[in-house]
Amino acid sequence: MQRKYFNLIWGMALVMLFAACQEEEYALPEAKTQLQNDCIKRTIGPHVAGLNLEFVYAAALGHGQGKLTVMQVDASIAGAAGTYLEHRSFHTNASGNDVPVEIGNPSVTNGAKTEVTFTRDTVAAALRYYYMIPEEARGRTVSFTFSAKASTGETVTYSMGPYTIAKMEMKRDIVLSDNNLAYFSIADMTAYNATDAAGKAGNIDLVYLYRAITGINFNHALVAPAANADYLPGITLPSGVNKDAKVSRTWALRDQHLARLQYGIFVDDIDFEQLNISDAPNYAINLRAESGAWVETADGKYRAYIYVNSVNNNARTMTISIKRYQVH
Amino acid sequence: MKILFKISLALLFLTFANISCDDYPIDEDGLLITERSECYVSNFELLGSDYQTVRTKAAVIDTLAQTINVEVFWGTDLKKLWPQFSLVTDAKLDPKITSFVDFSDLSNPKSWTVIAGNRVVKKTYTVYITVQPKP
Repeated sequence: MQRKYFNLIWGMALVMLFAACQEEEYALPEAKTQLQNDCIKRTIGPHVAGLNLEFVYAAALGHGQGKLTVMQVDASIAGAAGTYLEHRSFHTNASGNDVPVEIGNPSVTNGAKTEVTFTRDTVAAALRYYYMIPEEARGRTVSFTFSAKASTGETVTYSMGPYTIAKMEMKRDIVLSDNNLAYFSIADMTAYNATDAAGKAGNIDLVYLYRAITGINFNHALVAPAANADYLPGITLPSGVNKDAKVSRTWALRDQHLARLQYGIFVDDIDFEQLNISDAPNYAINLRAESGAWVETADGKYRAYIYVNSVNNNARTMTISIKRYQVH
Repeated sequence: MKILFKISLALLFLTFANISCDDYPIDEDGLLITERSECYVSNFELLGSDYQTVRTKAAVIDTLAQTINVEVFWGTDLKKLWPQFSLVTDAKLDPKITSFVDFSDLSNPKSWTVIAGNRVVKKTYTVYITVQPKP
């Protein structure tokens, strides 16, 4: 019995040995000649209304088989103004620069459909598509169908998505200035002066101030109006401005959307959903460029991440960008 | 023959088991218990919620009094601080620090016990925090 199995195993091993050693002659692969396509998404990070979603769509057919006539994209939700499909195909030269080659007329967008009609004999092209995420897509998903047509009558399509559009909102480069545009509203994502703040007292969540106090590091600060007066030196709050807020200072959280720097860090909806700063103080002092602060409004309605783009001690200003998430 | 082989294998196993237990005892954390009896804190750091230091200057570590005195910047959020101890070789800290610690009750300073490499010598250090005075 054992000998039988022994022989069987040896026999199988020999078969595998010969099969593995069998040589296959190499043959150059033949390129497909029919119309074919491919697509990549270039945008990384969360998809935020007001920003682009960028794709590259490529189509080609065999040389001498015909030419491309039309490329088009159908979005499940029509893009906002600024949505377009490039009418130039790019290649990279020896210096690493993008070199455009015009292949047709500028794209025409009609509702959710964006189309480029080719005017030059082209058998292969890679066109960039920029979808400006519209406000109505916030919190929803969006999908895309790319398609190309050739003079041979062939049509190819490529589906991309669905992609979830973030619920959070974003506003960049808001300038706060000490003793002027010093009253910041998370709800409005706007800075007000004292006069305007008095008229919107219920919306003012933070006060910006700059103080160079010898012996301590106060400098640029964001302080809730309800904070201890020690953190609001020299500030007389406008009438009715008295809200509290939770403020948690951060460092090195350089969100790429807000900072526009090289760091691949993004604050997304889930960060706000999981944020817990219930034990945070109501002030953040000594804020520096490239630092930031998580903020939660007193009523818990909004959570926000404020990124400090720059500070100016002489002008007593601070430029911030904000991502804001409505909790309820 | 088979019996002899089995006996040899068992002896070899017992020999190895005996050697490993004698030379490298480990504690409940899976750390080696050594012969070192030194038991002190060599350095101390205190980080804020942004993981940046909140010390105004180097912490004063008194290994005789077993105290650590550290002054933090005015305005530091004392509810969320992350203490970091550097210990002598083979020592460990109890309780372990796995998240931020609330130091806001300055009248009740926090304490940690340093346990020497031999796990016999234990010294409790108390961390005293003072806030930089506002001029």
